[in-house]
Amino acid sequence: MNTALLAAGGTTSLQPPGIYQGAANVIAALMLLLEFGMLRQALIRDQVRLYAAQSALISVLAIVIAADRGLPDLYALAGLSGALKVVVVPLVLRRLLGVPVDEDSPGVAGSYTLSPASAVLASIGLAAFGFFTFGAFHISGPAAPALALAIAGAMVFVAFGLMIVRRDVASQAVGFFSLENAISLAALVVAAGLPLILETAFLFDLLVAVVVFGMLIRTHHGRAESMSTADLTGLRG
Amino acid sequence: MSAAVPIPVIQLLQVLTVALGAPGIMGVIAKVEARLQGRRGPKVLQPYYDLAKLCRKETLAPEQASWFFLAAPLIAVAAYLTIPLLIPVLTTYPLPLGYMGDILGGGFLLALASFVIATAALETGSPYAQLGSSRAKTFSAITEPVVLFVVFTVALLTGTDLPYALAATVRSSAGQVVRPAHVLASAALFMVILHETGRIPVETHTGTNEFGMIEEARSFEHSGPYFALLKWGSMLKQLILFTILADVFVVPWGLASSQRLGAVLLAIVALLAKAAAVGCVVAVIDNSFAKLRLFKITEYASAAFLLAVLGVFTLYLGGG
Repeated sequence: MNTALLAAGGTTSLQPPGIYQGAANVIAALMLLLEFGMLRQALIRDQVRLYAAQSALISVLAIVIAADRGLPDLYALAGLSGALKVVVVPLVLRRLLGVPVDEDSPGVAGSYTLSPASAVLASIGLAAFGFFTFGAFHISGPAAPALALAIAGAMVFVAFGLMIVRRDVASQAVGFFSLENAISLAALVVAAGLPLILETAFLFDLLVAVVVFGMLIRTHHGRAESMSTADLTGLRG
Repeated sequence: MSAAVPIPVIQLLQVLTVALGAPGIMGVIAKVEARLQGRRGPKVLQPYYDLAKLCRKETLAPEQASWFFLAAPLIAVAAYLTIPLLIPVLTTYPLPLGYMGDILGGGFLLALASFVIATAALETGSPYAQLGSSRAKTFSAITEPVVLFVVFTVALLTGTDLPYALAATVRSSAGQVVRPAHVLASAALFMVILHETGRIPVETHTGTNEFGMIEEARSFEHSGPYFALLKWGSMLKQLILFTILADVFVVPWGLASSQRLGAVLLAIVALLAKAAAVGCVVAVIDNSFAKLRLFKITEYASAAFLLAVLGVFTLYLGGG
């Protein structure tokens, strides 16, 4: 009877996805976790590091999909996006934010509008919303499963949440850039075979955003002498 | 061809392995931790000597305390020793008493043990013990949702919540190991285990008196053999949780699939090796992180909760 019970358990269980799909899903889930990591992280330097790690993961995902589906274009994309988002953007961001960090450089620890635990709980709610709305579309590309798309949806919402609950320019920039990561993830899932030229165009859009954000950060820091955007709410006569 | 071991003997061996191996695992962790800090460290067998020494000491109880103060350690250890009957310790196939309770049953037993210890600590009237029990209950209420979501994940994966069924499912294919729900639930469970066994980043394990104490403070008023029982109980709890992590979630391989003597002996060695490996990871974490401030523990719990909730989410879409 015992073995019968076990067998029954075995048949009613959900079938696991294949190895490639499983790996793609795990990478997507890790990216979402890093997004939450950025939400909790108190130091600018560490936020930028998490962003670099997230960008590295999306390159790995591109390689996984390229190997699985036999799309050589994606290898090039993975290399390009890795060079740009793992190396260049974090470097530029760190220079803009006044790194090398000395002891009393502006941390962003005090920029929470909610306590860290409540911010995480609220973002779990946001992630759930994104997850189930995107999941309800039932879009699944040939390259990666519907789950990864839903996770990308959740990431979009959490990135918005990051930009809302943190009141400092650094978090808002990092939130915006990771939003781009979420959209790249969705693009990889839904349209892995997109022409290389389009994918690269997206990447260079990111560069424009980096420049614009860089100028905004510089201007804000020059005027307000702080990273906090709380000063912006006060009107000037 | 070695002889077959009767089923009841294997069942007994499950309990004995956990009962006798637990202090050894504690000793291994202390040794590894000391080596990582560049100290020579205590002997691996030191916890056994400690327990033996405590058993020879006299017992004192506070004047106001009732019989429950002395009964609590016995009840707690009895509860801990029942759990190895319910989980796969040595065998892949379920033993007859394995269906007495599911994962929730095991959880209830752990909660019962923790409850009686907390109540006994309250009986003493000692501020430290009371503080410890009140904190332990508060934080276990916070980590309880995480455990529930881990159980939900297991239930969605296997269709039952029997530990044997999950172990069998994980063994069945490599695809089961890399599915995100499984990875996330295992990670969340590991974080809960760090909390439950009173390790860094939640609590310093080898502390003397300090304000951040949680679990360790509860046994301040016990002495002699009863204190030995409490210490042994916390070692048992640690090995049981490590066994659940290793044999049900992470590496359910190396268990005996038949009743042959050789297979069962190999399974005992494998279990202790796996628990020691988990212990090494715990020791590394102990050495690389600082203890969280008491009010930051909610953030730690919220991170574990996040992992567990995402695990259930990913399953809900069927792709996890």
